Amino acid sequence: MIYISILIGCILGAILGTHAPVISYTYSSYLAIAIIAALDSVFGGITSVLKKNFDLKIFLSGFFGNAILSIALTNLGQRLNVDIYLAAVVVFVGRMFTNLAIIRRYYVDKWTNIVEKKISEKNK
Amino acid sequence: MKGKYIITVSIGLVALILTMVMFTQFKTVYQTDITAIETMRETELRTELSDWKNKYDEIQSRLEDTENKIIEYQSQIYNSEESSKILKNDLIETEIYLGYTKLVGEGIIVRLEDNEFKQIERWDLLELINELKLAGAEAISVNDERIISRSEIATVGYQFILINGNRIPSPFIVKAIGNKKYLESAITVKGGYLDEMKVNEKTISYSIEDNIEIPAYNSKISFEYAEIKK
Repeated sequence: MIYISILIGCILGAILGTHAPVISYTYSSYLAIAIIAALDSVFGGITSVLKKNFDLKIFLSGFFGNAILSIALTNLGQRLNVDIYLAAVVVFVGRMFTNLAIIRRYYVDKWTNIVEKKISEKNK
Repeated sequence: MKGKYIITVSIGLVALILTMVMFTQFKTVYQTDITAIETMRETELRTELSDWKNKYDEIQSRLEDTENKIIEYQSQIYNSEESSKILKNDLIETEIYLGYTKLVGEGIIVRLEDNEFKQIERWDLLELINELKLAGAEAISVNDERIISRSEIATVGYQFILINGNRIPSPFIVKAIGNKKYLESAITVKGGYLDEMKVNEKTISYSIEDNIEIPAYNSKISFEYAEIKK
């Protein structure tokens, strides 16, 4: 059920996105940082699902909150003439990698467990 | 059941928003021309601007150099033109003085003619020309022979009068350019040339005109014996 909703959402989003008007290049940098923040939240959510401590409120607040916060920080950085968006990118992408590592480890462990089970079943 | 429904819808919504924003961004990045001015960042624009400014300054200085050169060349051209103009004027003046040019102007035309009793002699012509010169005649011709400084008026065997090496028959038409009043009074003065000729029973008539044409001296003036003293 959840997977179907994700799939429908992705397809609809792709269609809407390709038909959306082109935004100006100045704002596209804000959008990019928001996308990175949102992706980080998504991977964080997947990790929390795997760890079985997923909370919808935390996920949604992280998704929108991180995106808005990163946009605000980037804007502030431009006003201060400091490239804060670089720090945001580093933090978000770094977290994405750790989350991806957790996900990978979880599935590798699962898979090896299955394989080992099968081997031990065969040996019996 | 209701909680699961909320989760499903909200996750789907999140996926929709995320993919939509991502595709919009993809499209934007794909369609934007990075080299166009509208899409440049401020710092890029600044460096670009300073580059162009430098180029502009360089070209401006080059333009100034070139303009200065042009001015120099023009002044040179002007100078040479000036000198050639002066030379040309000098040449024209000299030619006028020598009698190498056709001249036009106000003056007097005197007509002398042989009659049954008396012939016109060279003395008559010489005296007339002398009187006219005295009155300030600037150019004189006799029967289209220009009188210049080296012109002779001679008689050959009492038959012909010779001017500039050419035989001149009667009637003699003497043209002179100058102040027409002076010229007229020079010959019509009481006891002057006109009276003298009439006394001698020679045929003479004159007219004052505003547009007398005097031809040019058309042989070469050469010096064989005279040299410029150094």
